[in-house]
Amino acid sequence: MTEKPLTQEWVTRPERGAQSAIKLGVWIALHLGRRAARLFLYPICLYFLVSSPAASRSSRAYLARVLGRRPRLADIFAHFLTFASCVLDRVFLLNDQSQAFDIEVHGEEMLQEIERRGGGCMLFGAHFGSFEVTRAIGRRRGNLPITLLMYEENARKTRAALAAINPKLETEVIGVGRLDSLITVAERLRGGHFVGVLADRNVDGKDLVRYPFLGTQAAFPRGPFRVAQVLQCPVVMMVGRYRGGRRYEVFFEPLDEAPEARAQDNEARLDAMMRRYVARLEHYCRETPFNWFNFYDFWA
Amino acid sequence: MAFHHGNRIMVNSIVLTTEEATLAQLIVDTLNLEVAATQIDPEAPLYGEGLGLDSIDMLEISLVVSQRFGVKLRADDESNVQIFSSLRNLNTFIQQHRGQ
Repeated sequence: MTEKPLTQEWVTRPERGAQSAIKLGVWIALHLGRRAARLFLYPICLYFLVSSPAASRSSRAYLARVLGRRPRLADIFAHFLTFASCVLDRVFLLNDQSQAFDIEVHGEEMLQEIERRGGGCMLFGAHFGSFEVTRAIGRRRGNLPITLLMYEENARKTRAALAAINPKLETEVIGVGRLDSLITVAERLRGGHFVGVLADRNVDGKDLVRYPFLGTQAAFPRGPFRVAQVLQCPVVMMVGRYRGGRRYEVFFEPLDEAPEARAQDNEARLDAMMRRYVARLEHYCRETPFNWFNFYDFWA
Repeated sequence: MAFHHGNRIMVNSIVLTTEEATLAQLIVDTLNLEVAATQIDPEAPLYGEGLGLDSIDMLEISLVVSQRFGVKLRADDESNVQIFSSLRNLNTFIQQHRGQ
């Protein structure tokens, strides 16, 4: 018998809302329109503020860190509202209504260069802001092939949610649970795919490295970075953040070039890449604190 | 490990063919494993329990096998589980597909 791996709270916490609930929400959003649907967000966030002490507690702890002061109830509400807004806008973004948003993109020329060269790249995001808005940029660019890589359990949920929101949309979601999952990723990269990973969360408690993050050490998973290193592909950090109203900002910035040959100092290179990722994540947290969507004790 | 089988005593000793030993050495070198190549049980699973390798290690093995032997391991192949089920099976697969 192997020991049961440590699992983070968010993996075990039951999902709020099954497939049918998502479908109902999508129906309401698409029929009432964004402005009316947004009105629902206020009571929903209030409800969560009252009914979910765990989420409020983790929000409060995070905000105290990033704001450097005691967070007010209004701050926690704003944090929840930013999260809810991104979740709602996902419906519109996935239903090809990205033209309804004001999206400012930084660093797109780097992606164009990678696209021109072929061979794909890995896009490292975080549970920060809207991943969907970065994907909308990909679709505007004439259906850039995007593959998502995630833990098996999340992969299953994501496939179900995507199917509920827009069944016509073809996005490949690869779960890392199979022995040949990453052989598939290697094939997609060769085919010029952009492979997206949210690289901030550790799921199984294995292969973690601690880095200073917003004042205290936090554990980050080495896995995604190891994959990028083995595949010797360019690594790009992607951040899509919500700025209120209809405004989003998207940033693409290089984390690592594709090495010419297998580097001798692999460990140092990997460490440098992780450090850069964590430092940039901290930078974005400080600039737009309410976009942080890890509602559990990240520093545990 | 020794165990009784009828009235004979069978010893589960590790015997690698030359090709298997070469492949085992390649895997140990590629993954910087702590074990000696000669200590790898040719019948034990490569993935998960056994050698304790993960899917990133499987990726590295597939890349080095392709480089060294020109044998491509394909994604979404039902037989991957069988191929990676032991050093022996992986070696058999490589020998069957070399120089094709």
